[in-house]
Amino acid sequence: MMNDQRFGIRKIVYYSEEILVENGLAPAVPAVRATAAAVVTNPWVDGQPTDDLSEEVVQLAPVLARKLTDVLAENLGGVEAIQAFGKAAIVGTDGEIEHGAALIHTPFFGNLVREYFEGESIICFADDRGDAGASLVVPLWHKNAAATRTHYQTITTRVSDAPRPGEIVVVLGASTGPRPHPRIGDRLTDPIVKADTLGELVS
Amino acid sequence: MSIRKIVTVTEDVLTEGGREVSPAARVAVVAAIIKNPWTGQGFVENLSEGIDANASDLGALLAPRVLEALGAPAEAYGKAAIVGLNGEIEHGSGLIHTLAFGNHFRDAANATTLLPAVEKRGPAGVIFDIPLKHITDATIRSHHQSIEVRINDAPHADEIVIALAAAAQGRPQQRLAAFSTEKN
Repeated sequence: MMNDQRFGIRKIVYYSEEILVENGLAPAVPAVRATAAAVVTNPWVDGQPTDDLSEEVVQLAPVLARKLTDVLAENLGGVEAIQAFGKAAIVGTDGEIEHGAALIHTPFFGNLVREYFEGESIICFADDRGDAGASLVVPLWHKNAAATRTHYQTITTRVSDAPRPGEIVVVLGASTGPRPHPRIGDRLTDPIVKADTLGELVS
Repeated sequence: MSIRKIVTVTEDVLTEGGREVSPAARVAVVAAIIKNPWTGQGFVENLSEGIDANASDLGALLAPRVLEALGAPAEAYGKAAIVGLNGEIEHGSGLIHTLAFGNHFRDAANATTLLPAVEKRGPAGVIFDIPLKHITDATIRSHHQSIEVRINDAPHADEIVIALAAAAQGRPQQRLAAFSTEKN
């Protein structure tokens, strides 16, 4: 399969950020956020908007899920260290957003990422179409409890020379912990907020 | 030294020009985002105090990290200083253009040549290219290359990004004749 140019990965870019200080103070729980991005040929650039995309999805998406989870786990200290995840696709200008969606929004990518990362949450996402060098903010949330507010965070991904018009950049993001100084409460500490009683809460 | 963030980037090129690159060609970058040591001091005539307090520590921090990220012996290398908008380019140059900084990388990589460099001032998210050349012979043309870097929220106006880059090989599909074969 990998000898088929249509399913080849041109480039893999790993990017990580380790925050040592935020607003003058070290995080109580240090974390590393990272993205792994794979640049692939868009197998559907000459197609029609009515085409069935499933054949290529089955061939390509599992390869990307395996490769991107491997890169992140290897760099972040193993699957156990990964607490939050997210995914993204940037489609080159000859393609449809639907092509990126096909590679990240089916079980052939998402279920496998969940399985490899030992997570249970729906995977949050971003997708866009753009030129080479386009940056995209990838949302991340907790891999087992998506509503864990401390873990709502993002990381920006960018590949300098991709996507070319006929390419797609498929991205997986992960974090080993929460935001640097999470302090906005959670569902257990929130007051009940409704429009008609809001006045009682606002001084 | 106050480091806000450490960024690691690796790029693996698996195909170039439509042909497989085997093994994949890897270039790695590690960058430290630090507070500009001369922030708020006006024009500082003698930068040596700030250089002495930071340059060696930065080299010692970044050199092993970039070689670890590369995961292979370095064959080409380079460095960068990207100064936030309130600083002088001279501040960044001071931190990277000293043996106290570069020798950590040179020693760790068994290298002998000068480290090619980019020095630039810009806003957070500025794009910069780090030039790389061969670690023992800067005339080896196959290893002339560069890597593009962007950190979306750095440098702040009072920060400096200091980075090292390493490549495990020359350019993917490099096929230019050696410098020594050219006639004048």
